Amino acid sequence: MELIWYAVFTLLLSGYFALEGFDLGVGLLMPVIGRTQETRDRMVAAMAPFVLANEVWLVAVAGTLFGVYPHLEGEALFGLYPLVVAMLLSWVVRDAGLWFRRRIDGPGWRRFWDVMITAGSLGLSFGWGVALYAAATGFGSSLLHPMGLLLGVVVTLLLAWHGWTFLGWRAPEAAGITRTGRALALSGLAAALPALSVLGGALPYLLAQSAPASTLGVMGVMVLPFAPVMVLAQVWVWRFFRPGRSAVRTPSFF
Amino acid sequence: MDALDLARTQFAVTGSLHFLFVLLTLGLAPLVAIMHTRWTRSGTAEHERTVRFWGQVYVTNYAVGIVTGLVMEFQFGLSWSGLSRYAGDVFGAPLAMETLVAFFLESTFLGLWIFGWGRLPKWLHLACIWAVTLTAYASAWFIMAANSFLQNPAGAVERGGRMELIDAAALFTNKTLVFSFPHVISAGLFTAGMVLVGASAYRLRRGGEDAAFFTRSMRTGVVTAAIGITLTVGYGYAQFGGIQEGKFDGDTMAGLPLALMMEIGNLVFFVAVFLMLPLVRFLPRWRWTHRFLMFLTPVPFVLAICGWLARELGRQPWMVWKKLTVADAMSPGLTPGMITASLVGFTAVLGLLALTDYALIARLIRRGPRDLDLGAAEERPAPALSY
Repeated sequence: MELIWYAVFTLLLSGYFALEGFDLGVGLLMPVIGRTQETRDRMVAAMAPFVLANEVWLVAVAGTLFGVYPHLEGEALFGLYPLVVAMLLSWVVRDAGLWFRRRIDGPGWRRFWDVMITAGSLGLSFGWGVALYAAATGFGSSLLHPMGLLLGVVVTLLLAWHGWTFLGWRAPEAAGITRTGRALALSGLAAALPALSVLGGALPYLLAQSAPASTLGVMGVMVLPFAPVMVLAQVWVWRFFRPGRSAVRTPSFF
Repeated sequence: MDALDLARTQFAVTGSLHFLFVLLTLGLAPLVAIMHTRWTRSGTAEHERTVRFWGQVYVTNYAVGIVTGLVMEFQFGLSWSGLSRYAGDVFGAPLAMETLVAFFLESTFLGLWIFGWGRLPKWLHLACIWAVTLTAYASAWFIMAANSFLQNPAGAVERGGRMELIDAAALFTNKTLVFSFPHVISAGLFTAGMVLVGASAYRLRRGGEDAAFFTRSMRTGVVTAAIGITLTVGYGYAQFGGIQEGKFDGDTMAGLPLALMMEIGNLVFFVAVFLMLPLVRFLPRWRWTHRFLMFLTPVPFVLAICGWLARELGRQPWMVWKKLTVADAMSPGLTPGMITASLVGFTAVLGLLALTDYALIARLIRRGPRDLDLGAAEERPAPALSY
């Protein structure tokens, strides 16, 4: 049971980086390749149908962390207190930018929220690098350790590249490049690599930290029947919003 | 204030903000789903306009519900790691299931519903909003189950200084859960009904071309509010059978919000059921009542916060009733400086977003059911193309 939940946790966290990674990447690239408002609108429209289905992977990570590794949850989040608060605020601001940017017509309003999307994406991407380094060192190192900061830069660049690949797949005219679905899968795997290696190294530690078998059993019984629905819902998102689907061009809600 | 007071303030501020938005979400979701069902069956433009307008109010409200919820989820680990150390093996399970079974599906289906407009087959599109409603209810149920465990730690025993789950059925049939869950769900319906009534009253009072649209919305709102408040009051009183002994005795601060909720709650029950409901056919035409109906809109929100304060303050000083105190549940080593910084950050950012969101909803109601973003086809000038 411990091994199954470890696999679920690993899948959720790497899934978050592979999926939400490109949303953050698109946010990072908005000031870089989105010079005009029209291009930025296209970039956001390209990722918009995926965002809600992607970011929720991290919510699931946090929930699983609490259910499966309750002791680690307290230690990890508290150990990284200022970083977690900053990352949460980044996430909040990024989401608010997406929800609000088109609610009022006006260039100033939309430009402001676009800046918020980029700032939030940057805070999250860079924060993840720092957090992963801290996790790899058992939350013992300083948050300002040069290696952690370096990993922050690496993760930020990695996610930006992943976001660019996504745009090349779904909105080539905005990205200026054309990428295949296979290239997107590869960049997704690359985006998940830092998290995968940290989790791989932590395998024996995490197995020992697992909640008791009774708790894991109850969660398994209650969650497992819904796993097919969860997979189906995610598959639908990719089925309905893949490029070229439907000739109808509609304005994006985000 | 010391670190403990600050940590409690942070939880109360973020939790109250979250609850204000979640409450309306819980009530509007089934209403929008019913509106969508009628549109799917009839296919008329008027029914479509109804779904798009109230649907956009719903999703605009939803936005701040999500972002405040993110903060809530992580706050247990940030400020209350003593709780996960002592009771995480039990308390963590319903929270984990909430994220996996409920919110994961809710968010995915909401994305499909918003962005699948005009792309999904119409019955599948309808199924999405019903899935969102069901999972929102499931989410509330898991969260209330976790909270009920704190009120009454059923289904678990203490072994070696830690709580251990021995009876999952008892955890999910907790006596402090079975009536509080329908109480909250009905309060959501009442709130959504009163928002429909208040918004329609504003529009009808001003006059203009959408009178027929808002006449229908006001009637839907009055009926929903009457059903909602009746169930809320009923399940509210039913809860007293399951309350922990001594919860509202003595000098706890919970007495005041409890009394406020019950007194005002009974009053609005009479107004909604014995005045508004019998007069539902005439209210849309009686403009002199509209100012009063608009004035009632914030009442359900105030009552809900009072109810939440009564439930939570009544638990003091316990985090887990008679097992773990709030002081012991706080993360060891949490300094006033850390918590002040995060309290200021969360309050400022979430507070501003909440105000912005309410301003956007008010603006939407003022403009009425036209030029809506939700489900927009090619009617707007220079749209951003998504394909």
